Amino acid sequence: MSSGMSVIVRTVTRFTYALIIVFGFYVIMHGHLTPGGGFQGGAVVASAFALALVAFGTAGLKGALNRHLLQSLEEVGALAFLGLAFAGVGTAFFYNILANSGSVFGGSDPAALASGGVLPLMNWAVGLKVMTGIASILIIMVIGARKEATE
Amino acid sequence: MIAETILQIVTLTLIICGAVLAVTLRDLLSSVIALAAASLLVSLEFYLLQAPDVAIAEAGIGAALTTAIYIIALRRTRRKEQQ
Amino acid sequence: MKKALTVAAFLLVAAFLVVAATTMRPFGEPSHSEMDDYFLVNCQTEVVANNVVTAVVFDYRGFDTLGEATVLFAAVVGVLALFRTVREDER
Repeated sequence: MSSGMSVIVRTVTRFTYALIIVFGFYVIMHGHLTPGGGFQGGAVVASAFALALVAFGTAGLKGALNRHLLQSLEEVGALAFLGLAFAGVGTAFFYNILANSGSVFGGSDPAALASGGVLPLMNWAVGLKVMTGIASILIIMVIGARKEATE
Repeated sequence: MIAETILQIVTLTLIICGAVLAVTLRDLLSSVIALAAASLLVSLEFYLLQAPDVAIAEAGIGAALTTAIYIIALRRTRRKEQQ
Repeated sequence: MKKALTVAAFLLVAAFLVVAATTMRPFGEPSHSEMDDYFLVNCQTEVVANNVVTAVVFDYRGFDTLGEATVLFAAVVGVLALFRTVREDER
């Protein structure tokens, strides 16, 4: 069972895998302009990983999703989010230091992509955290299932 | 306005049908699929109530990730529910 | 006895639901809307972002998002502890 599912599921997964990942990154990237955000986009990317894991099993992935790398990236995302929160601690915790400052993300046009202050950076941090966290949970569950099946 | 009301009533009725199917079906894989369908309809209902953020989160978490986790858990256990 | 208790609990919950449904406010008209109006008016000038929900989640109410991130981290650590692989020499 750990080798995956039928040919139909595998073929559809090959077509849709990259499309789902690109849509998830779009949702994260435009989180401060359109509906969505870091959590939602990360969940969409993680659902693409879940689709690949269910369709191919751990054998078909060939180590493309490294579990230890994913867990390290999750902590990188969490620490980036916390660091961005502490960056504004001179005024208040979670103060938006970059908004209306005229620097990189500090434009005054609310419809531009490079606006919103620290909001896009926080979107990327939370998105990275959610997608790698949920993907590592799924990989751990599939590996545990395979170990118990062989014993 | 009236078309939106009719669409909401149809969506809510289908959500209740999916939930009842998820509880009563004996084949657990079919039950998981019914739960995923109900969750997708809940996402549509959130979109009709003008909350697209929650709709995206519900479609990603409820319809995709929960189904995947249930299928992975079903591989370790039995597929048929015992009497 | 058990069936009577079940019916009583069902009727109690149904009565509460009927009372709640009859006294429900109309959709989209909250009783206190001061914070909503503040967010809708000032979001595009204070936080320069068009998505008000993301502005509330990550800027005005960022502490809640920190708690959500902590919950996800705790879930990952819990699954790691539950499904850990025990090596042969530790057994």
